Order: sequence, then C-alpha cells, then structure tokens
Amino acid sequence: MSHEHFDTLAAVYAVGALDGDELAQFEQHLAQGCVRCASALRESEEALAMSAREVPAVPPPFVKEALLRRAAAASALRSRPEPSRSPWLPWAAATAAAALIGAVSAGMFVARRYEARLAQMARESPVLHERLALYTAVINLLRDPSTRDVALRGTGPNPGAAGRMLWNKSGEGHLFVANLPPAPEGKAYEVWAFARGAPRSAGRIQTDASGKGGLHIAPDHSDHPAEVFTVTLEPAGDLFGPTGPVVLSSE
Amino acid sequence: MIPTSRGCVWSWGTVVATSGVDLIRKCAAGDHEAFAQFYDRYAPLAFALILRIVRERADAADVLQEVFWEAWQSAGRYDPERGSPEAWISTRARNRAIDRIRSIRRRGESFGAPLNESLKPIGENPSQTVAERAVERRVIWDALERLSESQREVIELAYFGGFTQTEIAEQLKLPLGTVKTRIRQGIERLREVVKQAT
Repeated sequence: MSHEHFDTLAAVYAVGALDGDELAQFEQHLAQGCVRCASALRESEEALAMSAREVPAVPPPFVKEALLRRAAAASALRSRPEPSRSPWLPWAAATAAAALIGAVSAGMFVARRYEARLAQMARESPVLHERLALYTAVINLLRDPSTRDVALRGTGPNPGAAGRMLWNKSGEGHLFVANLPPAPEGKAYEVWAFARGAPRSAGRIQTDASGKGGLHIAPDHSDHPAEVFTVTLEPAGDLFGPTGPVVLSSE
Repeated sequence: MIPTSRGCVWSWGTVVATSGVDLIRKCAAGDHEAFAQFYDRYAPLAFALILRIVRERADAADVLQEVFWEAWQSAGRYDPERGSPEAWISTRARNRAIDRIRSIRRRGESFGAPLNESLKPIGENPSQTVAERAVERRVIWDALERLSESQREVIELAYFGGFTQTEIAEQLKLPLGTVKTRIRQGIERLREVVKQAT
C-alpha cells in the first residue's frame, strides 16, 4: 500500500472525522512510529488551532477558582505524611484512602456541577427580575380603568403586520407587535405618540425572527394625552420627528 | 507588565518572560501560580472555541474546567516537539467539546439546530453593525477563509460540528471518497497558509 493512502487518513484524522476500520488502521500505523504521519498530524493540529481562533471569550470566574481549589486539594492529598505502619494498617489505610479519594472526587464532581448551575442561576436572576417587573407593569396597565386599548394596522410594505397599544392617562404604555420582520441593518423601528398633531418619540421597538416584539413606555405625565400612534422605519441615530415610511398606524 | 506573544510577568521590578512551555513545565512540578498564569493566558481562547462548539455557556464552562483539569494532570506528559501550548490546549478543548455535543446527540437532547446553523460562530452580537464586527474580527487571523467553499464546509462540519467522514458524506449526499479528498486538500491548504504566515 502506498503512503498516499495514509496521507489522506492523516488529514481526516486531524479534523477528528476518521471512523470505522480506517480509524483503527491509521492508529495502528501511527503506533508503529510513522514519522511522516506524526509530523503531518502535528502541522495539521497547529494549522487548525490557528484557524479555529475566535474572538477570545472571558470565561466565568468560578471556573478558575474551582480549578485552583481542586489543584490545591489534590496537592494536599499527595503531600499528606505517611502514618507509621503496623501489620494490619495497610488494609485500613488503603480502604480509607480509597474512600477519601472517592468522597473528594464525588464532592468535586458535585461541586463542579452545582457551581456551574449556581453561576447560571446567578446570571439568569437579574434577567428574571427584569422580566417579572415588566409583566407586573403590563398587568397594572390592564387593571387601570383609564387604560385604552388601541389597535395598529400594518401599512406600506408590511400590510400583514399588526400592533396593540395599551395606553393610560399618565402616558405609560405597552406596545405589542406581530408579523413585523426585524428592521434591516442600519435601520430601526421608532414608535411615535401624536398629541395635538405633534409627534413625540416613545422609543424603539425590536422584533424577532417570528416578527414579534414589545416595548414598554414609561409615563410622561403630559397634559396632552396621545391620540394617534405610529411606527416608522428610521435610520439609526437621533431623530427629531418621523422621517421614514410608516409601517404601523392606529389611524 | 509588557505584553508580548510569549507573555510576561513582573518579578521585583524585572520583566521576566514566561513562555507557555515553561508554564506547562512548572505545572508539571505542581506550581499552582504557574497553573493560574497558564489558565489566564489560554482559557479565553479555549473558552471561545468550546463556546462555538457547544453553544451553551454553562456547558462551555463545564467543558473548560474539564480541559484545564486534564491539562494540569497531564502537564508532565507534554512534549513541545509535538506541538505548541496553544495547539495542545486547543486540541484538547476541541475534543472535549465534541465529546460533549456527541453525548448530547446520543441522549437525543435538543441540539436541534440545522446542520449549517450549528456551525455559525456565536460570538457575534446581532445588534452590532457589519463594520463593528469587522473591526472585532480584524484581530483574528481567519485562515479558513482562504479555503474553497467546498473544502471549508467539510472541515467545519468535522472540526466544529463533530461529524465523522461517513456522516458528512450522508449529510451532503457526496461519495465518501470526495469528502476525504476535500478534507485532505483543505488541510494541506491550511498548513500551507499557516507556513506562509509564520
């Protein structure tokens, strides 16, 4: 068999895709000391490591802390002084050591699992609080007898889009949007509240891939309550009034 | 501290270069400080790679811990002749991450993303503009971009997706021989590009 065959197997092995009989065949060939394949693998792994470089990501701090704790615990176990020996002690010592190693390993395994979960919960907690505050605000809007429920209809390029604005006397509101595709890159959907014909920006709303989105609007306690609501597609950046096409309107 | 590609530490006012190889040697001797430095230097790269493969941060953190624990335990067996510290840790990171997603697939858990979807880098923030992403990625040397589309596809499916040659042939409806040839040509091209750049 020519070495050409192993050159191909070495490349497939380097990306971790070799399987079946060929995997066993190549590993046997490698174990026999083929310098050419070992060198090809080394070069391929270096090239893949460089190619796979991503923007470095900061790992959660608990990983390093846990690793250093494990390393310290393992070193402490290794450096423990040997007790004086008596004929029956080796059995007891071996049993105790096995139990200790088992307990430490199990403890570390459990700790590792729970540290990851706890960190995940800690990360999720602020998000959940924020979401809960939003849901509470929407429920309070629904309970408020002064809240109006205004329907918005799609216009222009998105006639299938729809919106629903809950709006109370203090100017607090919540807009729900459906069937509105995400704004193109460099653009954003701006929500406008019109009072006496003058527009006031109520914020920007984003929609997901399914076309759904929501925006909570803080109360402004204006003397002039809004009468009309529109959503326009605008360029990113500061705006003083609607300039782009209207995609949703309550009129 | 003066940053160099080899990394530096202050020691009583003197700048002392500590290479990755030296750090691994010190880890092998049980030096916890060296282990911490080794982690600081390579964990962000390894974590990004693991995250790209497993996609869930909690799983990626778990795999990262596994990778560096193994590195600490096997530091004595590291041979610089067989690869740089970065390749050593990247290969471990990639392999452990692939083990994790294969285990998830075996258990039939989620991971239901379409084949191509599962290979997209996830570091990109959808709210970033193309220009912002370009600036961020400018620091990364993306050798895979130098491959043909068909070569890159099979290498990404294998290296980042954890698919075997047989699975790739089935997914792409290609003869097995074609998949092997594309992988080999792609790997040879990558090696050539890396050689030219170093």
